[in-house]
Amino acid sequence: MPLPDHDLMLAVRDGDLDCMGELFERHHGPLYGYLSKLTGNRAAAQDLCQTVFQRMLKYRHTYRDEGNFAAWMYHLARRCASDHFRRASSAPAPMDPTDLEAHADDAVGADEAAASKDDHALLHRALGRLDRADREVLLLSRLQELSFAEVAGILECSVGAARVRAHRALHSLRDHYFKLQKDPLT
Amino acid sequence: MTCNDCLEHVAGLAYGKLDERTAADVRVHLAACAACSRQFETLGLTLEALERLPSAPPSHRMRARLMGDIEAEKLDLQGRAGWAASIRSSAERRPASWLAPLLQAIAACALLAVGFLAGERTAGERAATERRLADLGAKVDTMGMLVEQSVLQKRDTVDRLQAVLTVGSSKRPDERVINGLINSLAFDSSVNVRLNALNALYGHAGQEVVRAGVLACLPREPNPLVQVSMIDFLVAAKAHDAAPELRKLAEDAKADTDVRESARRAMDLL
Repeated sequence: MPLPDHDLMLAVRDGDLDCMGELFERHHGPLYGYLSKLTGNRAAAQDLCQTVFQRMLKYRHTYRDEGNFAAWMYHLARRCASDHFRRASSAPAPMDPTDLEAHADDAVGADEAAASKDDHALLHRALGRLDRADREVLLLSRLQELSFAEVAGILECSVGAARVRAHRALHSLRDHYFKLQKDPLT
Repeated sequence: MTCNDCLEHVAGLAYGKLDERTAADVRVHLAACAACSRQFETLGLTLEALERLPSAPPSHRMRARLMGDIEAEKLDLQGRAGWAASIRSSAERRPASWLAPLLQAIAACALLAVGFLAGERTAGERAATERRLADLGAKVDTMGMLVEQSVLQKRDTVDRLQAVLTVGSSKRPDERVINGLINSLAFDSSVNVRLNALNALYGHAGQEVVRAGVLACLPREPNPLVQVSMIDFLVAAKAHDAAPELRKLAEDAKADTDVRESARRAMDLL
């Protein structure tokens, strides 16, 4: 029977670094998916995902006996993403052409050209219309391995606040998504 | 449960994060209320669409880089000094075919120094010469430290690559430079830096410590391109003692096909 993530991370902390390879295999896909949807930028998500695993290795001694691996990983991911957004806000980032669809509504006058009935593109656009905090709480809350208490821990807010923000973000995404489905040119 | 109570929890139910009792209460209300049921349905559809949203698979380079980081961290744990010492001592345990020329070189240098000092005519000139020699020694030490620092400690890949290229162009590198290059080959997380460190070592393939260093790095190397280059190096260096390691690689089913093929070819050549 495979070892739980928590046991693997404790082993890494205690010096069995090969266990980090197994944790990477289990989690890099979902983590990359989370960062990709959060940033809307594939290349940035790739770099951030790499950085998260590097930080796990570097700060392994901070992992606690009673810790939850997924919560710890997404906590590190949030820190890395915050650094990324801070850098991105101070310097214009080169646009990955493959991400243009996700950012179509950022470009003035490009709406019509980019408007598509494709469901994924609509949802990408709807996600892009949420503010970052809403996108973050929504993407964390949908992860089944995290409770609202753990999401609250990652976001450094109360459980009640995390729950309210998650509800509001989901309602907001739903409204944008359905509105775009009815009229993609909005 | 009222509609207001239900709407407060309906997103939590869609997220799958309600406790069982609350979830059961909400479901009872949803079964009887079309308006709340519609709210729940649309939220659920939105989350389902989000789950289906594809994201391109991450690149394979991410895995290779992490494995490189893990290896570097493991080597750090083992201690760079201890590892370098083990390479040196393993080189020293071998039949000392290189010892005689080394001793001859040291003896030649000593004779040269003695002759040089004896040739000085006055005590003043001798003192001045000694000062120049001391300055020169200090410069050599500083250079060695700079080489070590630039090769081993710089965090930026471009800087480390530049350091390796600079060090590699040195025609008469000292022991510290050679150690720096071997350390880069063993520890650096960048494939480019490791390949250039290996290229820089080609000029010194005749040294036993260099052959032993490359051979020690081979089983730790995660990248097939660098592995193949190391195998070529060992063939060029006529490292006959590499045969057991090459056999292991040639028979390792998990190793890259090109690596296995190179190892087989190298065994034939050696």
